Amino acid sequence: MSGSALRRLMAEYKQLTLNPPEGIIAGPINEENFFEWEALITGPDGTCFEGGVFPAKLVFPSDYPLSPPKMQFTCEMFHPNIYTDGKVCISILHAAGDDPMGYESSAERWSPVQSVEKILLSVVSMLAEPNDESGANVDAAKMWRENREEFNKIAQRIVRKTLGIPT
Amino acid sequence: MPSVFVSGLPRPSLKLYSIFSAALLSCSVFYAVQTANNNQGLKNNSSQGSMFSSLSNSSDTLVHQLKLSSSSGFLAWALNVITFILQDPLSIWAVINAAVCGLILTAKTVQVLVFGELRVVEMQHLKDKFWNYLFYKFIFVFGVINVQNMDEVILWYTWFVILGFLQLLALVCKDRFEYYLFSTTPTSWNHIRLLCLLGAILVLSGVLLIAAIGVGFFGGFNTFAFMAAECLLLALSVQHTLLRYLLHLYNSRGNNSWSRGHLPYYAELICDLTILILELLHHLHMLVWSNIFLSMASLVIGLHIKFLFYQIQRRIKKHRNYWWVITHMEKSYPEATSEELAENSDNCAICWEKMESARKLPCSHLFHNTCLQSWLEQDTSCPTCRMYLGIRPPPGMSSVVLSRDALNTPRRSRSPYHYFHFDGSRYGSWLPSFSVEVTHPPQLLRLDSMQSDSSSQIDSMARQVQQLFPDYPLSTLRDDLHVTRSVELTVENILDGRIPPPSPSFEEENGTPGEAPSSSSSWQPFSPSFTPTSSDVSIEPSEPLTTGSRFSKSPSERELILQLRKEKLLLAARKKYLDRQAATSSSGESSTSTDQSHSKVD
Ligand SMILES: [Zn+2]
Ligand SMILES: [Zn+2]
Repeated sequence: MSGSALRRLMAEYKQLTLNPPEGIIAGPINEENFFEWEALITGPDGTCFEGGVFPAKLVFPSDYPLSPPKMQFTCEMFHPNIYTDGKVCISILHAAGDDPMGYESSAERWSPVQSVEKILLSVVSMLAEPNDESGANVDAAKMWRENREEFNKIAQRIVRKTLGIPT
Repeated sequence: MPSVFVSGLPRPSLKLYSIFSAALLSCSVFYAVQTANNNQGLKNNSSQGSMFSSLSNSSDTLVHQLKLSSSSGFLAWALNVITFILQDPLSIWAVINAAVCGLILTAKTVQVLVFGELRVVEMQHLKDKFWNYLFYKFIFVFGVINVQNMDEVILWYTWFVILGFLQLLALVCKDRFEYYLFSTTPTSWNHIRLLCLLGAILVLSGVLLIAAIGVGFFGGFNTFAFMAAECLLLALSVQHTLLRYLLHLYNSRGNNSWSRGHLPYYAELICDLTILILELLHHLHMLVWSNIFLSMASLVIGLHIKFLFYQIQRRIKKHRNYWWVITHMEKSYPEATSEELAENSDNCAICWEKMESARKLPCSHLFHNTCLQSWLEQDTSCPTCRMYLGIRPPPGMSSVVLSRDALNTPRRSRSPYHYFHFDGSRYGSWLPSFSVEVTHPPQLLRLDSMQSDSSSQIDSMARQVQQLFPDYPLSTLRDDLHVTRSVELTVENILDGRIPPPSPSFEEENGTPGEAPSSSSSWQPFSPSFTPTSSDVSIEPSEPLTTGSRFSKSPSERELILQLRKEKLLLAARKKYLDRQAATSSSGESSTSTDQSHSKVD
């Protein structure tokens, strides 16, 4: 099984290296374990996360692409759809069988035709437009709804932190 | 290897220990030789009175021994010495000690030759398995066979030491193989060495089986059955690993996509079931033989039998699902015709490889036969368009069973069977922590096996890290270890600043916004090599490596290119951010930033 998973991951890595989407870099940090990648995602322009470069870790299962990878930001994040430990909660990363939120239709969930690139692009759009109904981080969702100014301030602090610029 | 199990104990170096054991052994042999000669001398003293005078002089005795050895009575004499050593209570311990030392040396040699440095996870597995094995064999010897005779105990332990040694070796081989599964770096030389070792273990387990048959002649059927079952189990599990290994090599070398044909599947199924059933029979045999019901031993064995039974059930269910999906596919989804294949220029959407043959779903999407089958085993819709295919679970299986959790390794199946835990570190730092679980090392999903790593493992790893970074709280380290599952990665995370330091020190300012962060307390999200000097080099637009237009064949070069590309992206983002900030602040409050720079730069 994992032989084919390895080949598919290699193909995706090659594609992401040769035609990288704007502001996104992803690949295995250490090829001794090809099933653990690091991705860098640039915050989309015109949003409160603009300019930040957010590192995240992707861990692939041995039956990839039948099961989705797990994604976790390794920098501090404050976002309605990201748990405080950095785990990303978007429907594309949920396996077809399990439905933790209870309202996603299976069309939005993981399928083998999805790819790392699609996941990362979904995450970029998630950064731009949080879905404040899914409460991965309830505080962030509440602040996003009620006190946008404060939210933007926190986001800017995180952006500066990821760039290594002191506040 | 045995030497690593006791790494928690204060122990002398291996070199010292082997010298000590060799000395001890030679002492006891010498003592035995002397006594044997003495006895012989007593027998012969009627003819050779001179012998008594030389008794105190050891060199004379040695000369005499040489004389004896050349004579015809050598064999008898050697036998005499050996029996003496085996009967003398002190000498026997010297011999046992020497044997253990020899085993450790062998293990060390094998480790250096085949594995090199053992990874932390492998060491942890070894440690767990070792204590588990010890516990079970203790139960077996005293609970099941109920040995009273010291000789018998020693014989059984010799047997178990050899068997356990091979089992642990097989475990490390399996761990290493599973590690290679996820890697692009191992060379064919790595594979050959591992395969040779696996072959050697297989041969040795065959030899043990022959020995078991030999012992069975004298010891009776029960002894034979106990011994043979263990040999067979070892041989089967090694053979299973070999099979998977060869399949993997074939699969990753050959271009045949996703080659998970029927033959390998059935080979694996038969292997799995044979191992499980054999183990079940072995445990039933032990339960019946132990006679003493309601003892601790029968309780442990009973729990294990329950677990084995559950495993067999699960395997059969999984197979039924597989079989059902196959028949359903044959029945409902026709093979794509060659025109359809020619029309469809896309690759298989599941494995991204070319399709020479394919199956067609009602929505006219094409996939490889095996790719589609693996997907349908866990889901009932078209991967591309998500059309519901209306597959009902096979009769006798509820739809819950079809859901992926039931089919794959049960994610939390370990905890209900986890019943004995000994946390030695609570009593003394050198004591081992171990839990005896009636489970096998998980065989299917690596991710799951990682998640189900017992908490004691994480704890001990966290403690290892904390020795290096004492100011990080244990809970933070444990959290990170749950993610990384490796001490090295967590240490790396700390060094790279990915784990926030215990005190919120990143609020402090360390330089002006115009300068690159220079001190360690500023938050650097990436590698320590992210310094102004290296960045100056990589930001050069002429740098060919960072353009991202090349995909290297060598893993190390790919890693380097990736690293450079990341640094370049980060620097570009920094520059852009600072430029924009300068643009906005120059119009507004420009004085504050210059004030800051004067006060901070020194
Ligand atoms: Zn395919
Ligand atoms: Zn379709």
